[in-house]
Amino acid sequence: MLLNRQMVFLYVTLAVSVGYLITALSLGAPIADSGLTPAFFPTLVGAMAIVFCSILIVQALRAKPEQDTAPSSDEGGSYTHLWVVAAIFLYIVAFKPLGYFLSSSLFVFALILLFSTLEKLVIKAAIAVAIVAVAYVMFQQLFGVRLPTLWG
Amino acid sequence: MDFIYLVFSSFSLLADPVNFTYVILGFVIGTIFAAIPGLTATLAMALLLPLTYSLSVETALMACASIYMAGMCGGSITATTINIPGAPSSMMTALDGYPMQRQGKGALALGHAALGSMFGGAVGALLLIAVAPFVAELSLLVKTTGKFSLLAFALIVVVIAQRGRIPQAGLAACIGLMLATVGLDAMEPITRFTYGYSSLTAGIDLMPVIIGTFAIAEVMTQASARIDISAATEAVKKVKIRRRDFLPPLADIRKIGFGCYFKSCLIGYFVGTLPGAGGSMGSFLAYTETVRTSSEPETFGRGNPQGIAASESANNAVCGGAMVPMLTFGIPGDPITAIMLGVLVINGIQPGPQLMSDQAGLIAPMLAALLFSAVVLIPLTLWMIGPYFIKIVSVRKDVLYAVIALLAVVGSYVATYSTFQMFMALGMGVLAFYLRRNGFPVITMLLGYILGPNLEEFLRRSLALSNGDPTTFFTNPDSLFFVALTLVFVYFLVIRKPAQAPVAAKAD
Repeated sequence: MLLNRQMVFLYVTLAVSVGYLITALSLGAPIADSGLTPAFFPTLVGAMAIVFCSILIVQALRAKPEQDTAPSSDEGGSYTHLWVVAAIFLYIVAFKPLGYFLSSSLFVFALILLFSTLEKLVIKAAIAVAIVAVAYVMFQQLFGVRLPTLWG
Repeated sequence: MDFIYLVFSSFSLLADPVNFTYVILGFVIGTIFAAIPGLTATLAMALLLPLTYSLSVETALMACASIYMAGMCGGSITATTINIPGAPSSMMTALDGYPMQRQGKGALALGHAALGSMFGGAVGALLLIAVAPFVAELSLLVKTTGKFSLLAFALIVVVIAQRGRIPQAGLAACIGLMLATVGLDAMEPITRFTYGYSSLTAGIDLMPVIIGTFAIAEVMTQASARIDISAATEAVKKVKIRRRDFLPPLADIRKIGFGCYFKSCLIGYFVGTLPGAGGSMGSFLAYTETVRTSSEPETFGRGNPQGIAASESANNAVCGGAMVPMLTFGIPGDPITAIMLGVLVINGIQPGPQLMSDQAGLIAPMLAALLFSAVVLIPLTLWMIGPYFIKIVSVRKDVLYAVIALLAVVGSYVATYSTFQMFMALGMGVLAFYLRRNGFPVITMLLGYILGPNLEEFLRRSLALSNGDPTTFFTNPDSLFFVALTLVFVYFLVIRKPAQAPVAAKAD
């Protein structure tokens, strides 16, 4: 199978490695005046990454069809991890504009819901607020970290 | 001798309430994280890394040492009582611990595990205290070309130690090296791979790399897998543990024998000094060696305390071994020592040969805390909270992972008060998650990232000193030594048919 999950990952890694190598080569000649330039090491690393990627792609393509089609442990399963990424992304975006308390309470509440069910929402909201308050005391009061707040 | 004296005089620092509190807290947190299947002491340390900004270096390192020691023994609690190792290093402990639990000797098995951990941790720490100063003095003999060969040796060994997935490990190491090249060049005023982002000029910070790799990736993994622990929670309800049953009878200890404990400690210690081997490999090798030399090998796997003693002595001795290359050469042997290296680096301390001579006062308290954790905290924790500790398996996972995610994301903000580092931690978390999901060992990426800058600098300096002559790596004795050592490891780990590695050793 040319486009299973692992192959997609390898193709993306290969593309990134090729992009990295091109950028490394654009830094100039790898060797100048019998010495190594800042381009040498990245060129070497980029080339090695492409070699390893190619080996893995060839290995995957040569793998027996039954190995390709065998379902992995979590194939077809949960995509909750993508929601976790989305929640963290939105949390970071809202962190300074909304302040620590509001953004963190919403984030923790969302995470609790992602790892559980849509039941007992009030209790879960209360737990989220309590966690955020305890974390605030820990960061701000105990360790002296200034966290953004709506009141400046 | 001066260093040994300094370490033992550092025990007085434990009398300071702040230091003592952090060491105790570190040990309890490390034990909790190691005992809960899916969580690790590495994750605990990654989450606590941002907090080290507000602590003194000595206190932060002492807390790290106690987390490390707790992480190696905490996994034996669930391994023994419900047959689910809390940490990969306790996989071998479950082989004999759980049968003992089923025979109604669970508390005794935990007592043997604690005794083995205590012995292993203490011997590992004492060997570290005795050996590290000499290794540091020897390391002063290693010049520029030798340093490159040594770093290359460490990286190659980490890659080839991943038997069965060397191309994956090689690619992961390359990704780490790529990350290390971002930012200002170390020798010339040229920025590389910043693509116009001024925030990247100083390079990718260690903090978001560690938090992303170990904390955010872990939350994503747990969200993706949704490991069902209802069976474990049910099993916990049936487990009854009484304090009086913890103490192993003298006859049992005599039967296990001092030789078994000590040999396992030495195996664990030397495995620990190798980059990438880790506690699971140490306990596996010690266990198989104990079975091989036993007069009754058929009893192993059926509740033989000797198996528990070998496994736990070895994995706790790994702690001491893994710190030798980290302190003397700046080469971390496993993820936990990589984070300890991070604590040193973010406090402006460069690990390496000079560290033991110039800043021994910072290192000595950490070694004292390591020894204290092994000798005092392991048995004390088991005695005081052992009967209740098993209940932590039942902790609410939704709340647990929400807390981990909050601490991870806010923790990555602490270093620079910039949301850029938070995005960077998220990016690293996504990268590490997909690497893990596709069978790539994350430790090789981390070591590539950590060792990359020095590897490049020493390569360029070596060739500059030799006018571009690459044979310099074979003509300098210190470099030749590490080249030869690399070839020996390549022979034993790649060319010669390797021994069957334990499943746990293959896990990250």
